[in-house]
Amino acid sequence: MTTSERTPRPVRAEAGDLVEVRLTVNGTPATLRLPARVTLSDALRDHLGLTGTHVGCEHGVCGMCTVLVDGQAARACLLFAVQLDGADIVTVEGLGRPDRLHPLQEAFGRNHALQCGFCTPGFLLSAYDLLATTPEVPTEELPQELSGVLCRCTGYRNIIAAVREAREESADGLPAPANCGSRALVGRAAGQAGHDAQQAAAGPEKPVAVDVVPPRGEPTVTVCVSTEVAVGSGQVWDVFDDIHLLARCLPGAELTEDLGGGLYAGRAKMAVGPVKLAFTGAARILEHDRASGRLRVLAQGRDTGGAQTQADIELRTEAVGQGTVLRADAKVYLTGRIAQFGRALAGDISRRMFEQFAASVGEAATSGRAPEGPVKPPGAIRLMLGTLLERLRPARRSRGAR
Amino acid sequence: MKAAPFAYARPSTLDEAVAELASADGGGKVISGGQSLVPVLAMRLARPEVLVDINGIAELGRIERSDGAVEIGATVRQRAVERDRLSAEVPLLGMALPWVGHRELRSRGTVCGSLAHADPAAELPAVACCLDATVTLSGRTGPRQVAAREFYAGAMMTGLGPDEVLTSVRLPLARRADGYGFAEIARRHGDFALAGVAVHVRDNRVTVTGFGISDRPVTRTVTGEVTGDLLDAMVDTDGDGHASRDYRRRLFRVLAEREIGKARARAGRKERDDDQ
Repeated sequence: MTTSERTPRPVRAEAGDLVEVRLTVNGTPATLRLPARVTLSDALRDHLGLTGTHVGCEHGVCGMCTVLVDGQAARACLLFAVQLDGADIVTVEGLGRPDRLHPLQEAFGRNHALQCGFCTPGFLLSAYDLLATTPEVPTEELPQELSGVLCRCTGYRNIIAAVREAREESADGLPAPANCGSRALVGRAAGQAGHDAQQAAAGPEKPVAVDVVPPRGEPTVTVCVSTEVAVGSGQVWDVFDDIHLLARCLPGAELTEDLGGGLYAGRAKMAVGPVKLAFTGAARILEHDRASGRLRVLAQGRDTGGAQTQADIELRTEAVGQGTVLRADAKVYLTGRIAQFGRALAGDISRRMFEQFAASVGEAATSGRAPEGPVKPPGAIRLMLGTLLERLRPARRSRGAR
Repeated sequence: MKAAPFAYARPSTLDEAVAELASADGGGKVISGGQSLVPVLAMRLARPEVLVDINGIAELGRIERSDGAVEIGATVRQRAVERDRLSAEVPLLGMALPWVGHRELRSRGTVCGSLAHADPAAELPAVACCLDATVTLSGRTGPRQVAAREFYAGAMMTGLGPDEVLTSVRLPLARRADGYGFAEIARRHGDFALAGVAVHVRDNRVTVTGFGISDRPVTRTVTGEVTGDLLDAMVDTDGDGHASRDYRRRLFRVLAEREIGKARARAGRKERDDDQ
């Protein structure tokens, strides 16, 4: 099979509108009307009743939902059904007949290549694509080639043995899916994914005044940033004393309410590429000591999408000559969805946010105002932060960046 | 794991796509293969107001060769390139593609989408930087060309404006005596790299691009020997629970030295073949 070079029909649909999609599923034409956000896996299961396609992680890691799209294996949870107008889909239901299984399925049976069976549809279609497009695939490459599907029973040896056997048996070419043909597809609970459009339009949650609890355990990220600003420590402390001004030095952040006793409600927005988070939360000042040059703040916030963050931030100032060295030590704790972006990424982004914060404090100490445009921090990070700020403040994108 | 509702537009021309993005005023997002974007939407780390699907724009599906370079359009799938003779004409691309996610992701994922997503541990941005490729960004004021090495501004951050579409990438074709190297180390095949390297050797000049080691691809071009200190200095990520900065430095140095050696040997072998 080859990829068809079809151009899908033009569409323009508001959020919550139903969009018409024409698919061929296991040889049967199907016309669906779906909200744009419904994935192919949900369309197959919930709208066409084809529950052989399993759904595991729903974000493209586990491979359970692997199906054939125009003859190539693809993860059905990573495709919006509306994107597939005109596509040819084959699911495990299309592979073999109940009375005559596909040779791959026979090989899986003989080799005991399934224990609980949850991953089997994904493995079958990944293996079908592999053997159909590269029948000569060497045995030693099978583990890597089949690594797109996970088996939590860890029965990989038998799965690989089954695929190897199917490859040897079908030296003359792997038989095409045998259960594709025109038949009635029985739908189930249509359109169930479209209900919460109003819910999403309800707007941001009101900040809820809660107490700030000190984070515990190992921080996700530890940030240590030191920068020198060309103003005296007295001026820096004038910024620290004005807690609203200080908050605005963190890009996208502001305090919304003074709850008394060093407790504040606030919100912060951050954007990194396509990732956009809007946190509401609270901050408590634990220590505010001009004499020893120490300011310690605990902050916590929650995003509407369920991401949570806590930070234990200590700022220290030290007079050096005419200027001041500003040091920020922060322990950042991330939970919920945001923690998925673990790796070194969260650390690099947090570090650069604090670098920007330190640069803004320097600017505010000089001018007495929180900077409204991009502040140029020292060194090579300038370009990145300029872009970061442009994204944070899209309204200011018009030319005159300072 | 369901994406928040979004408006959906699938225009048939580039002008309409740009107009759609411009009218969304920063709330629009381009989708092509969606293999990096859909997880972000599923986790609701992004809630774009409008998703602009560029798969209806026929002109973006082209692969064109001219003047010693190849231009790959925005909707060309990674797997289509992997199987095309292109992966022999631009060997570094052919070496890197098997490392990009899994086969199932490459069926739908696009070369240009990976470049625009700008994950610091992704392979294709590093290939584009190593080969000194050029991307074309098309917006309201028309197309503009940006060198890949200037395009990356940080983790998932690029020079792409909110009303712009990355419409193609232009990669130089290999010359006969060029040598290439590519390797990465990830915890499992298909995972993001802890550290990876792309190498291009031409005559006595070595271009090394590292990925997974900073917030963007890092490229150095050296005539003569590539020192360990230079390689170490390229690594500036903070590291995480899987690999500290020092570990990544060590990993990167070993990978880079190995691949530079292979690339030099390949280049030398071809030169000797030519002499005979």
